[in-house]
Amino acid sequence: MDLIRKLVSADEEYLRDESKKVGFAETISFPENHEQVREIMAQLYKDGTSVTVQGSRTGLASAAVPFGGHILNTSRMDKVLGMREKDGHFYITVQPGVILQKLNKAIAARAFDTSAWDEASQAAFEAFGKAPVQMFTPDPTESTAAIGGMVACNASGAKSYHYGATRGHIQALRGVLANGESICIKRGEIFAKGLDLALTTEEGNTINVKLPTYKMPNCKNASGYYCAPDMDAIDLMIGSDGTLAVLTEIEISLLPVPALSWGVSTFFEAESQAAKYTKLAKQIANGIVAIEYFDACALDILRKQKAENTAFAGLPFLPESYGCAVYTELHCDNEDQAYELLESLSKYCTQAGGNPEMTWVATSDSDRDMLHFFRHAVPESVNMQVERTKRTYPEVTKVGGDLAVPDEYFEELLKIYDTTLEEEGLLHAAWGHIGDNHIHVNILPRDMDEYSRGKALLAKWAGEVSRMGGAVSAEHGVGKLKAPFLEVMYGKEHISEMAALKAVFDPKCMLGRGNLFAPQEEVKA
Amino acid sequence: MKIIVCMKQVPAAATASIDPLTKTIVRTGRNAVTNPFDLYALQTALDIKEGVGGTLTAITMGIPAAQKVLRDAISRGADDGAILSDRAFAGADTLATSYAISLGIEKLGGADLVVCGKMAVDGDTAQIGPELAQHLGISHVSDVTEILEMAEDHLVVRRVWDDIDQELYLPLPALITVAKGVNLPKLPTIPGMLRGRVAEIPTFTAEDLGADIARCGLKGSPTQVVRTFTPPVRGEAQEIEGNETQQAAKLAQIIREVLHGED
Repeated sequence: MDLIRKLVSADEEYLRDESKKVGFAETISFPENHEQVREIMAQLYKDGTSVTVQGSRTGLASAAVPFGGHILNTSRMDKVLGMREKDGHFYITVQPGVILQKLNKAIAARAFDTSAWDEASQAAFEAFGKAPVQMFTPDPTESTAAIGGMVACNASGAKSYHYGATRGHIQALRGVLANGESICIKRGEIFAKGLDLALTTEEGNTINVKLPTYKMPNCKNASGYYCAPDMDAIDLMIGSDGTLAVLTEIEISLLPVPALSWGVSTFFEAESQAAKYTKLAKQIANGIVAIEYFDACALDILRKQKAENTAFAGLPFLPESYGCAVYTELHCDNEDQAYELLESLSKYCTQAGGNPEMTWVATSDSDRDMLHFFRHAVPESVNMQVERTKRTYPEVTKVGGDLAVPDEYFEELLKIYDTTLEEEGLLHAAWGHIGDNHIHVNILPRDMDEYSRGKALLAKWAGEVSRMGGAVSAEHGVGKLKAPFLEVMYGKEHISEMAALKAVFDPKCMLGRGNLFAPQEEVKA
Repeated sequence: MKIIVCMKQVPAAATASIDPLTKTIVRTGRNAVTNPFDLYALQTALDIKEGVGGTLTAITMGIPAAQKVLRDAISRGADDGAILSDRAFAGADTLATSYAISLGIEKLGGADLVVCGKMAVDGDTAQIGPELAQHLGISHVSDVTEILEMAEDHLVVRRVWDDIDQELYLPLPALITVAKGVNLPKLPTIPGMLRGRVAEIPTFTAEDLGADIARCGLKGSPTQVVRTFTPPVRGEAQEIEGNETQQAAKLAQIIREVLHGED
């Protein structure tokens, strides 16, 4: 079959993703549409070949790293297929390989190739041109993520604090099951009865699913299957890490761009002040769409980068008294609301022991770009640092946490991070979504010993977070790297329930082998 | 030291989008911003004020809504601002604009130092600064890339063009225009934003300034735009030596060569 071909040395890049892990595979395909995916899956099903689905391989949990068998790469499924308008709301159907950054640009510029769209889509596009400018709100740090990958891991980002993760912005999905049958699920059409869910394929076959009985954490979560009594069927597919179906068409929902978008970075001398400020800022009901944190180590890394690397010379000057930072993003209907929010943040800053003069407010594109550069320079700098270590110790990778807990446990978790990192003496930097009690603590190993100790510490934290009723992965997805943690989080019995659910969709256990369920063999570092 | 910084409101090109139906630029009303070069001017002025002491006033000319750039300047550290706004100023070219601004500066009691951005990103003329200095009868240095020394009565500035690197002693009062790399403009603070919002911004009309109407706005603008085009890549900068007369003669010769291809 032409669509499937042997993997050759030039395909080496498809054996890895941003987690820097390297897998193995025998064949690869680059389908361009649903029908080709069906064809490929039907063939692979016959042979019982396992399949790893790839988007743009920006994931951090190794979900796109193949574990033998076939790589189904969706990068050529990069078309925007159509548009729909209902009650003034706009929905766009895309193929899974569409890149977020390109999609956002097209939405902002209202520029799509509509030549192949049907009449209804053309009409919706005409209305779209006259409507207020729209946006797709999920904003993972890696803007080159593919929409399919974002759905597979239920990606989120800074603005998910207000707008929620990808899940809430997915209206319909079409995909291909392991056996090559097609499935289409539209939000609001198919619901579970209690924990029993029945789905019908486009070929007319029914799939009866028994949903797992675990209770999902009461916090941001991208760990394991989404399961709840009477749930919408579409939510099961979102965040399933490529283990239930190959997504081929995704309908996303858009929202109007707010009249004003301002960014406010507030600096504090101490972490405790930042935590208190965040707690106070979270009391604001409307207008704050993101609350992000950067710890002292992250700011030190930026100072060093600015001094040593000309590519980072444009970073704003950070006085030594600026110990850590909380970034808030405001989306407002008018300036009155925005200034009221500034006044509140100023008050909360003072109450938390900070100084409102130690703030940066960005209201223009250039100033917002500056803050964007600042925020994104942190992970970039950390990755550069790890890459330097990798030259001496090739097996070393960044050891990054993606843990979140319910409100009542967040301060306890922060203390655990501080205490254990100090005990271990590991170089680290922490940043992320403090508004969602979700900080990425990244350990930067300088040798193999620190790498091992870092991994052990991450496992320890996963245990603590599970005890608190939190999530071992809040936004990256479980993939292969966090699969052992999922068992810690939900326990063996619930993992068995998940496996039983998967078996209904994928009886030969072909899809996303090693994802969610701990693989039998370790993926090579 | 009394410092005045000139600011201009320009369209935010980055946010411009094309209407898919009319193929025209979508103007949402939200896309007017401070000229990016003026932020370098403002930061230069702030740094000098911090170094030498004194006051810093931002001035602009435009429609009433242009006072937004002055509030922006105050939010970033300027002490106050003033806007020149009058129908009589409408349609002004650089000559008429610099004339009006010079009157505005005189109305504010003059300045020891006037700081302008290198140019505005909408017009790209880079003429306002030098013309303004001429109207005010003060020295000027354009395209300053570094402030090497600052004092109450003088500045030492540097400018680098291609392979020309100059250090210039500039007695005050004077005017400078600054290039992009001269500093890294700081962002406003929350207290700054709140100050900027409530600041009283005086408006001066042509009458307030005692302006000669014949020299204002369209009437006072000898410039006629025949066509607009992207200029070819410019050649290298040349340094003209000699006394003022010799320099002027050489400059005139260069202009003739460019215009008429004369030798």
